[in-house]
Amino acid sequence: MRSKPLMLTILDVLSILVLGISTYLALFFAPTERVMGEVQRVFYFHIGTAWTALMGFILAAVFSIAYLVTKNLKWDRYQVAAIEVSLVFFFLTIVLGSIWARPAWNTWWTWDPRLTTAAVTELIYIAYFMLRQGIDDPERRARFGAVYALIGGLSAPVTFFAIRLFRTIHPVVIGGSNAEAQGGFAMTADMRVAFFFALFAFTIIFIDLYWNRIRLGELQDQVEQLKLKVTM
Amino acid sequence: MLFQTATPDTSGYMIAGFTISFLVMGLYVASLYLRSRNLQRDREMLEEMDTAQRKL
Amino acid sequence: MTEQRPASQPAPGSFLKAVSAVVWKDLQAEFRSRELFSAMLVFSLLIILIFNFALELDIKTRQSVTSGVLWATFAFAGTLGLNRSMAIEKDRGCMDGLLLAPVDRSAIYFGKVISNLAFMLVVEIIVLPVYSVLYGINLFQPGLLFVILLGSIGYAGVGTLLSAMSVQTRTRDILLPILLFPVVIPVILSAVKASGGYLEGLPFDEILSPLSLLIAYDIIFIAVAFMVFDNVVEE
Repeated sequence: MRSKPLMLTILDVLSILVLGISTYLALFFAPTERVMGEVQRVFYFHIGTAWTALMGFILAAVFSIAYLVTKNLKWDRYQVAAIEVSLVFFFLTIVLGSIWARPAWNTWWTWDPRLTTAAVTELIYIAYFMLRQGIDDPERRARFGAVYALIGGLSAPVTFFAIRLFRTIHPVVIGGSNAEAQGGFAMTADMRVAFFFALFAFTIIFIDLYWNRIRLGELQDQVEQLKLKVTM
Repeated sequence: MLFQTATPDTSGYMIAGFTISFLVMGLYVASLYLRSRNLQRDREMLEEMDTAQRKL
Repeated sequence: MTEQRPASQPAPGSFLKAVSAVVWKDLQAEFRSRELFSAMLVFSLLIILIFNFALELDIKTRQSVTSGVLWATFAFAGTLGLNRSMAIEKDRGCMDGLLLAPVDRSAIYFGKVISNLAFMLVVEIIVLPVYSVLYGINLFQPGLLFVILLGSIGYAGVGTLLSAMSVQTRTRDILLPILLFPVVIPVILSAVKASGGYLEGLPFDEILSPLSLLIAYDIIFIAVAFMVFDNVVEE
């Protein structure tokens, strides 16, 4: 396996850098929100992780199709990496959402569309890994993983719309006249800076972790192949 | 005079949030590193076994 | 009197024949043993019993939780049927036999969906009067029956695909609910909403929304499952 590419090392450093900057912006640069107080600051990380994890899951569904069409195992590797990193990020999204909800609405959990769909989505991708764990043949594992990631990826947005149509409470975050009443808030210019930078920062961090995870997958494949070779 | 509610002190939650964020991300990076290191060791060991086998 | 035809190209009309062959085989086998049916039925009745003790069902609450209890029952009993149905295929080697035949793989998919659906519907048809009697609620309303049909179709459609996968893993039976439930939530949600709507006698335009979602889900997911089923039963 090639030694770690320079680009990746640069990305590693860059990730730590943007994480630091984003933290600074969230903690100090952005003003304190009037109604909720300091806890609102977790919102920047909450959105950062949510956005990237969502992209990751969509990517995973695309990789499903790519694998099923081409049967090239590299797509499987890309998919596993995407789902694993997204799983971690989405977990953070959910936890931060919960921490935000507690002082804002006096409850640790609300069954609103976004939070509920996030939980369901998280369960889908945990199930994805449980499915893969029960299969030894790499080719079958890739096939089944692709099928389930596709079905799961399609059902998550449907779940979201279903809950949104049939039940109602998530803050309408950007603007909205009734924003404060719903626990949402209007964003000032400084907040917007922190917000967009957080999106940018978490995208960089995601890509960095993702690339590292892909390399881990390649290493795994090599070890598996060697195991087969040696035991023959 | 309009009575305006004071901004509540929710900094405890904020600290919890940021702490958890760094903790989770840190744990994941650690996990990637440890798995990578274990796999590299496995690979070295297997490569040795392979060359040893081929010499036979 | 054999036709000259490449083995890979199925004869026209053979698709429907294949589907009905699969369905007929399953129904016949089940008719003889009644293994699946009795298990699902008993399990459903036990679930309803548990719900009776788990939830305080005074007359007012009963009305509002009925659709939820029904669908929870169907979901759990459905898992039982799906698991066993596929396990039987695999254990008896029927699957290999089916796969060797020059039939479109999707015919097998549709056949299994229809037979799994049939098992679910039969159980549901029996559960409904039992529940009606136990709780004094008339469940034989055409709207409700329609929702139960649509919901079961979606459930069986996705469940058949996923059970074909789970039966080939090491964790087998346990895996199916883990795979199925998160993905089938739109069905449960819409079905409960629509069922509840019919039971409460809500105006149709309020029921239309969940009903359309149910139909949309059924169409989309059965189409996707149909397209990917090949990948799940390859050898």
